[in-house]
Amino acid sequence: MKLLLYVFMQLVLVLLLAPLVDGIIKKIKAFSQKRKGPPLTQMYFDLYKLMKKDTVVSETASWVFRTAPYITFISTLLAFMFFPATVILHSISFQGDIILAIYLLGIGRFFMVLAGLDTGSTFGGMGSSREVMIAALIEPALIVVLITLGLIAGSTSIYDIMLLNLQGNSFILNPYSILLFAAIFLILLAETARIPVDDPSTHLELTMIHEAMLLEYSGKHLALMELASVIKQLLFITILANFFLPTGWLGSQATPMLSFLLALITYFFKVVCIALLIAIAEISTVKLRFFSVPNLAAISFALAFLGFMQFIILGR
Amino acid sequence: MQTFLDLLSVLILISAFILTATKRINSYIKAFQLQSFLLFLATFTLGIYNFTTKGFLDIFILSIIIFVLKVIYIPRLLHNTYNRVAYKVEKDFFINIPSSILICAALVILTYYSLYSLDGALNIHIKFNLVNSLSVVLIGLFFMISRKKAIGQIVGFLVLENGMFTTAMLSAQGMPIIVDLGILVDLLTAVMIMGMLVFKINESFDSINIERLRNLRG
Amino acid sequence: MYILLIFIPILQSLLFWRTSNRRSLHLINVTGSFLLLLAVLSLLIQLQSSSAINYPLFNSFFYIDSLNALVLATTVLVGFFVAVYSVGYLNNEYKLQTDIKKIKLFYSLTSAFIFTMVLVATTQNLGLMWIAIEATTLASVFLVGFSNTKRSLEAAWKYIIICSVGIALAFLGIVFLYFSSHQALQGAEPSLNWSYLFEQARSLDAGILKIAFIFVLVGFGTKAGLVPMHTWLPDAHSEAPSPVSALLSGVLLNNAMYGIIRFLSIVNKSLGSSLYTGRLMIALGILSIGTAALFILAQKDYKRLLAYSSIEHMGIIALSLGIFTPASLFASFFHMFNHSLTKAMLFLSAGNVLQKFKTKDIGSINGLLKSMPLTGSVFLLGTMAIAGLPPFSIFSSEINIALAAFTSGYSIVGSVFILLIALAFVSIAYTLFRMFFGLPSQEQNSNEKNTLGNAVILLLLVTITLTGFYMPLFLKNIFESATRIVTGG
Repeated sequence: MKLLLYVFMQLVLVLLLAPLVDGIIKKIKAFSQKRKGPPLTQMYFDLYKLMKKDTVVSETASWVFRTAPYITFISTLLAFMFFPATVILHSISFQGDIILAIYLLGIGRFFMVLAGLDTGSTFGGMGSSREVMIAALIEPALIVVLITLGLIAGSTSIYDIMLLNLQGNSFILNPYSILLFAAIFLILLAETARIPVDDPSTHLELTMIHEAMLLEYSGKHLALMELASVIKQLLFITILANFFLPTGWLGSQATPMLSFLLALITYFFKVVCIALLIAIAEISTVKLRFFSVPNLAAISFALAFLGFMQFIILGR
Repeated sequence: MQTFLDLLSVLILISAFILTATKRINSYIKAFQLQSFLLFLATFTLGIYNFTTKGFLDIFILSIIIFVLKVIYIPRLLHNTYNRVAYKVEKDFFINIPSSILICAALVILTYYSLYSLDGALNIHIKFNLVNSLSVVLIGLFFMISRKKAIGQIVGFLVLENGMFTTAMLSAQGMPIIVDLGILVDLLTAVMIMGMLVFKINESFDSINIERLRNLRG
Repeated sequence: MYILLIFIPILQSLLFWRTSNRRSLHLINVTGSFLLLLAVLSLLIQLQSSSAINYPLFNSFFYIDSLNALVLATTVLVGFFVAVYSVGYLNNEYKLQTDIKKIKLFYSLTSAFIFTMVLVATTQNLGLMWIAIEATTLASVFLVGFSNTKRSLEAAWKYIIICSVGIALAFLGIVFLYFSSHQALQGAEPSLNWSYLFEQARSLDAGILKIAFIFVLVGFGTKAGLVPMHTWLPDAHSEAPSPVSALLSGVLLNNAMYGIIRFLSIVNKSLGSSLYTGRLMIALGILSIGTAALFILAQKDYKRLLAYSSIEHMGIIALSLGIFTPASLFASFFHMFNHSLTKAMLFLSAGNVLQKFKTKDIGSINGLLKSMPLTGSVFLLGTMAIAGLPPFSIFSSEINIALAAFTSGYSIVGSVFILLIALAFVSIAYTLFRMFFGLPSQEQNSNEKNTLGNAVILLLLVTITLTGFYMPLFLKNIFESATRIVTGG
């Protein structure tokens, strides 16, 4: 029963919040440029429209191209299941689940890259190779961050880390957690194709990375891919929100429903805060040349590594 | 307050990393300015603390001087120098940015292990701050040898000096005030003299690229 | 008296800008340095009766004991000789009326330089001493780059960058020391006065002091020109005008070494033995002597060669400080004094040669003894002295150092030392002696005379020869009490 309820909650979050967060980021950027911008719900309309449309598949495409959207979507969704919005309602939790979740995302990426290569189009291949390069560059930082988080919490379970953050000695007050926060933030920008690394709104073939891989997709397939990428974005935002931002509701025995609602509201609020940060980062920077991406990766690695060092020195 | 100071020392270290990640002269002057501002915040905090607990005003005054000198005056001086001598943009570093960042990370480890022997003598926060600020010193040194432009070397020196100052502030709560003031005066004179030398070098070598300074060997 | 010491150079600098008469500029400079010399002499006489002179003024920052007095006396003495020499030198170099500005600048910079060095030797606050040492760099940068040529600008740039960085590292050492006194004397007001720190040395944390000493050794060692931090030194010393080279080599290096000595005494007392510091100092010393001896062999520029020989002698001093017995300390102070005078004399005579031949290339100068009998012979004798030949004072201090090494159990160090000294002697003889003999190249470019300058170098020659035979009692007293101060005995 509890498991069902949990899965239901996460699914609702995915479906409601993930596209909405993307809309929020777009809206903030539009405001900064004195535009009105698309409505917050634009992505729902887009997805709905794509779902109704026919799917066109290239003649040369193999089964990989056809199954990749499903695999990517499902693996991303599965990964998200490990990141509960609140500590009140949780059921899937075991040691090492954070590593499992991160590598589930890796499976999704793997198939996306294969699909990009599969049709044999120039841009698909280019996008894939770039995506893999970025993933390879950013991976060391990600691993160091995970190790440090695990060391700090004394556990590799997402639930434990969240709980540690919520209980009293909030993470963010430690000098080293600001380093980890910054490192994860940079990883987020790189992983979810945000501006210093990739421009999500461009369709100029030579510069795009993520979009280039999806260029051959249409209809339902495209909808799934898009949804998968916003879920991934929400997942990283959730990591930042629940692992680093203070305040959250631990829940009380007396009023379970109320505290659950409050917890969801704080979660939503924290997600919006992070979205705001992402928008600010996008507004204030320009897209890097592709060959400058290693610099970004090196910075995020250095930050993660420093966080690790500082933790070693200061202790918990 | 200790947590805040710890945080500042980490941020000062990060600003040193930002410095090594910058390419253009204008942006590394800005990075230096950011670092000086953080240093000012640290001194300011210590100054307020000292004033409220012990009634000493000197660190507070020092922090104001640091603000005027390091955050406002010296960056402007560097900008002026640069604007007057620079008419062509050249590649400025010997070692590419990712590797230099990794080297800086290695320098942090080095500092940590060199302070390892002091385990018994230090309280944990002081050790923490020492690691951070000594790393800033080493990164400043590294920055000096990894840049080709004369102004890059000046900025590296200033960062090194910032690291020194941070060390003094966060480990021993500042040196005696007259020493601190003397250091600042020395620093100011040094930067002015270096700026004048940059002009002269630019005049006679037609560039501020120190790779051209290789007449004297052996 | 102390006030005089500080204010004469300041007053001098002010006066230089009030006049633009060549004669009065010279007069002000020579009188000023002479008064400075008198002031220091009176301090020395005062010191014969009391162990230290302390001025409660200015928060008792100012304090003079025999060790300071030694450094101070060499500073002022060489300063005076250089001032007298500069009269003729500048007149030859800048003959035009429009060059008065240059002379003015030169004099004000040198007096600022002397001022900072006097400050180094008279303060007992380590922080202020650091500031003063940094200020010596700043005051002398434009002196190094005085001729505004490409080479001299390069030398000046290297000088300010390398020395500033080095000195900054030394400051870290001072921070550590201060921090350890902060830790050790809970509650009591921590202080940077070394007389106080020396008293409290045993309660300071040994681990922190070890790190502090390394920083200070690297930092002040840069300024003192110890290998591997020496790279600025040959450039600066060879490109600076010769009187400035004499000051840099004869005085500035001593000042930096003095900083190390103060630290050494505190750290050794705190650690209870000189093993740790001794190893470091002896290693750096041997490295410096060896490297310098090899580099001397490859020199084609006689001023650069003299600069390398300064590195060698700083290495010798570091080595004998590292041995840290009363005998070796005595010998190293004696050596500091001898090296200052001899090297000043050599650089000044090199200045005469340079003004005559307009070249620093050893190969293009021949028959120096015939073309410049006086300067040539002084230069030759000075070269013998600096290489360590018997009748001169450097020989006796080097012998003392070797003896101290052998008698205190450092026999391997002593043998290596003697070997390296021999190597340095061979190098100097091989490269430099060919300048003096043979026939002079026919046409000489100029025939200016620097009569006062010649008198100065002769006087210096007489001094170093006399001290080689016989050490005056007051000199001996100063060295001995300086030794007592450093060992604490």
